[in-house]
Amino acid sequence: MHISIDWIKDFVELPDMDPKDLAVRFTMATCEVEDVLTTGELLNRVKIVEITEIEDHPDSDHLHLVKFTDGKEVKQVVCGAPNVAVGKKVPFAPLGTTFAGGFTLVPKKIRGIMSEGMLCSETELEIGDDDSGLKIFEDSAPLGVSVGEYIGQKSDILLDIDNKSITHRPDLWGHYGMAREFAAVFGNPLKDQFNKEWEAKIKGWMTSEEAPVSISVEPDTCNLGFVGITMDGVTIKPSPRYMQDRLNACGMRPINNIVDISNYVMLELGIPNHIYDRTTIKGDRIIVRPAGEDKEFTTLDEVKRDLIPTDTMVCDAEGPSGIAGIMGGLDSSIADDTTGLFIEVANWKDAEVRRTSTRLGLRTDALQRYEKSLDSQLLERTLLRLVELVKESCPEAVVRGQVVRTNMPDYTPLVIDITTKRICSVLGKEISDDEIVGILKSLDFGVDNSAGSLKVTVPSYRSTKDIECDADIIEEIGRVVGYDNITPAAPLNAVNAVRLSEAKQKSRKILDFMVNRAGALEVMTYPMVGEKLLDQAYWPVKNESLVLANAMSPEASIMRPSLIPSLLQTAALNQKTYSSFRFFELGRSFLEDSKNFSNERYQLGVVSFDKKDSPFLDTANTMEELLNSLNINFRMVPGSSDRNELYPKNWEGIHPYEMLDIQIMGRSRGFVGTIHPLVCRNFKIKGQLVMAVIDLTDFQDQEMKDKTKYKPLDRFPSSLFDCTVVADAHTPVEEVVAVLKKGIKMKELDWVKVVDIFTMSDSQKSVTLRASFKDPGKTLSGEFIREAEDKVVKTLESKGFPLKV
Amino acid sequence: MLQNLEDLKSEFTSALAEVKDRSSLVNLKADYVGKKGKLNDILKTLKDATPEVKKTLGMKSNQLKEFILGEIDKQMTALELSEINEKLKKNWQDITYRSSLRDQGLTAAGYHPVSIIQREIEEIFSSMGFEILDGPYIEDDYHNFEALNIPDTHPARDMQDTFWFQDMKHLLRTHTSCIQARGMETRTPPFKFIGPGKVFRCEATDASHEAAFHQLEGMMVGKDISVANLIYFMKTLLSEIFRKDVNVRLRPGFFPFVEPGFELDIECLICGGDGCSVCKQSGWVELLPCGMVHPNVLKHGGIDPDEYNGFAFGLGLDRLVMMRYGIDDIRHLHSGNLSFVSQFKSY
Ligand SMILES: [Zn+2]
Repeated sequence: MHISIDWIKDFVELPDMDPKDLAVRFTMATCEVEDVLTTGELLNRVKIVEITEIEDHPDSDHLHLVKFTDGKEVKQVVCGAPNVAVGKKVPFAPLGTTFAGGFTLVPKKIRGIMSEGMLCSETELEIGDDDSGLKIFEDSAPLGVSVGEYIGQKSDILLDIDNKSITHRPDLWGHYGMAREFAAVFGNPLKDQFNKEWEAKIKGWMTSEEAPVSISVEPDTCNLGFVGITMDGVTIKPSPRYMQDRLNACGMRPINNIVDISNYVMLELGIPNHIYDRTTIKGDRIIVRPAGEDKEFTTLDEVKRDLIPTDTMVCDAEGPSGIAGIMGGLDSSIADDTTGLFIEVANWKDAEVRRTSTRLGLRTDALQRYEKSLDSQLLERTLLRLVELVKESCPEAVVRGQVVRTNMPDYTPLVIDITTKRICSVLGKEISDDEIVGILKSLDFGVDNSAGSLKVTVPSYRSTKDIECDADIIEEIGRVVGYDNITPAAPLNAVNAVRLSEAKQKSRKILDFMVNRAGALEVMTYPMVGEKLLDQAYWPVKNESLVLANAMSPEASIMRPSLIPSLLQTAALNQKTYSSFRFFELGRSFLEDSKNFSNERYQLGVVSFDKKDSPFLDTANTMEELLNSLNINFRMVPGSSDRNELYPKNWEGIHPYEMLDIQIMGRSRGFVGTIHPLVCRNFKIKGQLVMAVIDLTDFQDQEMKDKTKYKPLDRFPSSLFDCTVVADAHTPVEEVVAVLKKGIKMKELDWVKVVDIFTMSDSQKSVTLRASFKDPGKTLSGEFIREAEDKVVKTLESKGFPLKV
Repeated sequence: MLQNLEDLKSEFTSALAEVKDRSSLVNLKADYVGKKGKLNDILKTLKDATPEVKKTLGMKSNQLKEFILGEIDKQMTALELSEINEKLKKNWQDITYRSSLRDQGLTAAGYHPVSIIQREIEEIFSSMGFEILDGPYIEDDYHNFEALNIPDTHPARDMQDTFWFQDMKHLLRTHTSCIQARGMETRTPPFKFIGPGKVFRCEATDASHEAAFHQLEGMMVGKDISVANLIYFMKTLLSEIFRKDVNVRLRPGFFPFVEPGFELDIECLICGGDGCSVCKQSGWVELLPCGMVHPNVLKHGGIDPDEYNGFAFGLGLDRLVMMRYGIDDIRHLHSGNLSFVSQFKSY
C-alpha cells in the first residue's frame, strides 16, 4: 500500500528530515516501509518546447527529423508521430528521463541519425489516454517550463508499506490512521479535523424530510452496522487535480468526481463505502439479506459469480445489487448523467466476507480492509466525510433527510488495567509514568493514572481485534519508545543440567556412524509421495486417509507409507551418474491409524548400489555394527519375503533369498535385502541395489545401556584348529558353524569362525572352519587338543559335513 | 713377515674387487680369515718368533683381520642392497594409481548440509542449557493454530498456506511453533528449549521457495524475563552462529503467538551496515521473528501469565544453510541428488 506524505501532512506536521530516515523511523515504530518513492519526477523533467523545423528522415518514409526550441536552444529528435507540425507546442523528454515502465532514454541513433530525446504522447506521460500522437499544448503554453508545473501536478513522496506488516492494524489502512502514528512517533499533535464542530457543519445540511431510501438488515447476515444518506443535484465531472494525483499515487485510477470521492475516503479513513446512482435502487429500499435462493450475481467487473445461500447480499426491492463487503454490481454504478446518490457505509464480519472472497477468488480493496475487522463506530464519520466531499465538489448538491442507520452493534469500550512497573519490567527499561501516559494519549488511548496503576481505555478502532490484553499495551509503549533504546541485559537463570533425549542421542549416533563408519552420504527426501511412485515400487498400501486435500502436485500428495519408494527413486536418480554409492536417510514414514489419525514412524533407510558386485554382505555387516554400537539386542536371521513388518506381505520388491530380517524386542523391526530385479527394472536401475531399513520408533526412547563388562585377561594360551568340510552349495555357513557350536558340547570351545569358502561345483562347496579352545585355569594338554580336534571332525561329519579329502 | 701381511692385504683388496655375489664373498671370507685361511697360515709361522716380534706382528695381524672383516661386511651390505634393489626394480607398483584417478563410484561420505547447520546450532543451544525437542509432522488444528493464539477466524491463517488432510482437521505443521505448544504442556517453568525440524507450506516452489523446509523454534520461560533479555540473548546467539559480533535491532512485527512481536534484523554482514545490494542499501537484513510469548499462548500451555513470561523466536535453517554455502536453489535440499550432498562431504 502506498502512503502519500503530502496527504499525511493534511493531518500532522512532519519533521524536516530525509524521507529515507523518516521511513526508517516509521519502520522501527509502526510498520515496514519497503521503499520510498517520489512521484511527479517524470513531469518535472519533461519540458514544453515548440517545433521549428521538420525534414523527412533520409532512410525512412514515416520518420521525421524534428528540430525544436525550448526558448533557449535548438535540439533535434527523430520522431514518427503523425501529428507533428511546425509551430506546435509539445512535451520533450531529454536523455536520462525514466518513464513509468522503468524505461530510460539513452543516447541512441535511430536509422543512423542521433536523437537527443523524445517528444511524448499523453499516455507516455500518464496525463491522459490519447496515444494517437504527440500531446499538443495550447499555443499560449510557456516554453521551457516543466509539464508538471504547467498542469499543476505536485511532486509527492510515497511510502510503500508492506501490507503483511499491518494485517493486525485495521486502523492503518487509511491515511488518517497512519497520520496518528506519525503524530505519536514524532511527538507532533494530530489535527483534530473530524471534531464536533465539523460534524455539526455537515449535519446542518440535512433536512427534516423523511429519508427517501430506507434500509433494513435481515437475520443471519454478516452485517455489523449500516448507515446511509441520500443526496440530490450532483453533477458528474472530473475530480480536482489534487484528488486525482493522490488516487494515482495510491494506485487507483481517477474516474469521475463521485467514484473518486468514494475511493478517496476509503484511502483516507480506511473504511470502504459504496455510492449508488439512486435511480437504480428499485423500490427505494435497501435490504441486507442472505443470498438464499439467488444462485448467481454479476459483479462490477462483468463476471458472473456463483453464490451460496449463506453469502450476505446487499439488495433492493427486486434483487441483489452487491456482494456484501466485496464488490457491487454493474447496475448500481454511477453514470455520466447521474444526479441522485445514495451513500452507503457498512461494516461486515471479517471471517465471513473473507471466506466468501476466497471461495469466489475475488479480492478487492474493500475486502482487504473488511477482513482486518473494521470498527462500526467509525461508519458515521466516514459517511459525513463523503457528504462533505460531494458538497465540496458540487456545492449545488443537497442532502435529503437525515442519516439512516440500522443494525448498529452495542459498544462498550475496552479498559485494560496495567501498572507502569509491569510495563518497565517487561520491556527491561525505566520509563517515567509521564512518558508512558503521554505515549498512550498520543495514540488516542484514554488513561486514568493512579500512582502508576493505569486504567487504559482502548480506542474502539483498536479493540476490534488488535488490542486485547496488557501485553498489547506494553507493545504500544515499547515501539514508540523505540526498541533500539533498550539496553540489552543478560537474563538471570537457574542452573540445571540438561541432557539430550534418548531419541536424539540415538539419531545423532546413527548419523555419525553412517557418515564416519559406514561411509554414506545423508540425503533428505519429501515425506510426501505420489501414487505413481508407489505403483512403480509395487507398493499396495496407498494411505488413503493420509492424502492431502490441497497437494501442490499428484507426485507429492500422499504421506509416504514407507521410506522404500523414496529411496528407490533417489537410487534411480543417482545410478545414472555414479557406478556405486551408499546413502541414507533418517526420515519419517506414516501409517494410517484410526485412533490417532496417523502413526509417524522414525526410520533409517540405507541404500548401497554397485554396477557390478553385490553390496549385500557389506551392507548387512554395516547394519550389524550399527545396531551393536547402539547397544541394542537384536537378531539378524534369513527372512522370507512374506513376513517382514517393514514392507507389505508378499512384497514383490525384495529378492526371495537375499533378505535378512532384523529382529528387535521379538519383532521384525528392519531388514537388509537385495531389491528385486523387476523393481530395479521399473526404476531403470542397472546394477545391484541393496537396501536396509530399520524402524527406530519403538525403541528409540529406551536408554542405551552400556553393557560392556571387563573380564580379566587370559593367563593361558588358546589353541586353534582348522578343518575343511564339504557342504551343499546353498547351505548357509551360519548353519555349519551353528552345528558345530551346538553339537560339540565342550566348555573349552571358545569360538568357531569361517576362514574360507570355496565353490567346488554347482552343488558343493568347501568351508574351512577355525575353532579355538581354551581353559581359563590351565594350559591345554596335547592329548586334550587331539581329542578335541577329533570331536570337531566327528561332530561335523555326523551332521552331514564330511571332512574334505 | 711384515711384508707377508702387507702382501696379503693387497691380495685381499684385489680379490674383493672381483667378488660379484654373496656366496663368493662368504668363500673369500673363509679364504682369508677362516680357521684355515691365509691369515692363520701366516700366524702359524709366528710360533718361534721373539716375544717382541710376536707382539708387533700379533697387533698388525689383528688390525688386518679387522680390516678384512670390515671390508667384507661393507661389501656384504652393498651386495645385499643391490640384490634387493634389483628385485625392487622389477617389482614396484604404479604409485600414481590412487583413488583420485579411479572410478570407484561415489566414495564420499557426509552429512546433509541442513544436518550440519542444525547440529551446529543445536550445540550452541545445548551449551546454553536448552533442551532439544521434537514433534510430529502431522499436527492437529489445535497445536498448529489455536494453542498459538491463532483462532479459526484470525487473518493470520491467511498468511499460512497450509497443507490440509482430507478430514480438514489434520494438517502438515506449518511451523515448528507446534513443538513449542507441545513442549509447554509437559513442562513447568522455568524452562528453555528449542525445537528444530521440517515444516510444510503449500506454495509454489522456485529457487527460494520450497514446500518442505526447516525451522528451529526456541523458547525461554521464567520469571521477570524482559525485552532487554531477549535482545541480549539474540545478540549472543547470533554472534555464535555467525562467529563474529553482530548487531541486532528489533522492530514491530505481527505474529499472533507473541506480544510484543518483533522482526529481528541483523546488521548486514556483507557491508557491515554501510549499505550494499544484499541489504538493499539499508545496512540491515531481516533474519527472524521473535517476541515475548503471548499470554494466551502461555495459558494454553497451562502456565500462569501473571506469574511467568518469556520469549520465543524462530530461525529459518535453510536460509542459514544457503547463506553459509552460497547455495543458489533451495530445491536441491530435498532433491536426493548425491552430486549435491557430496559437495558437503566429511571425507
Ligand atoms: Zn549490506
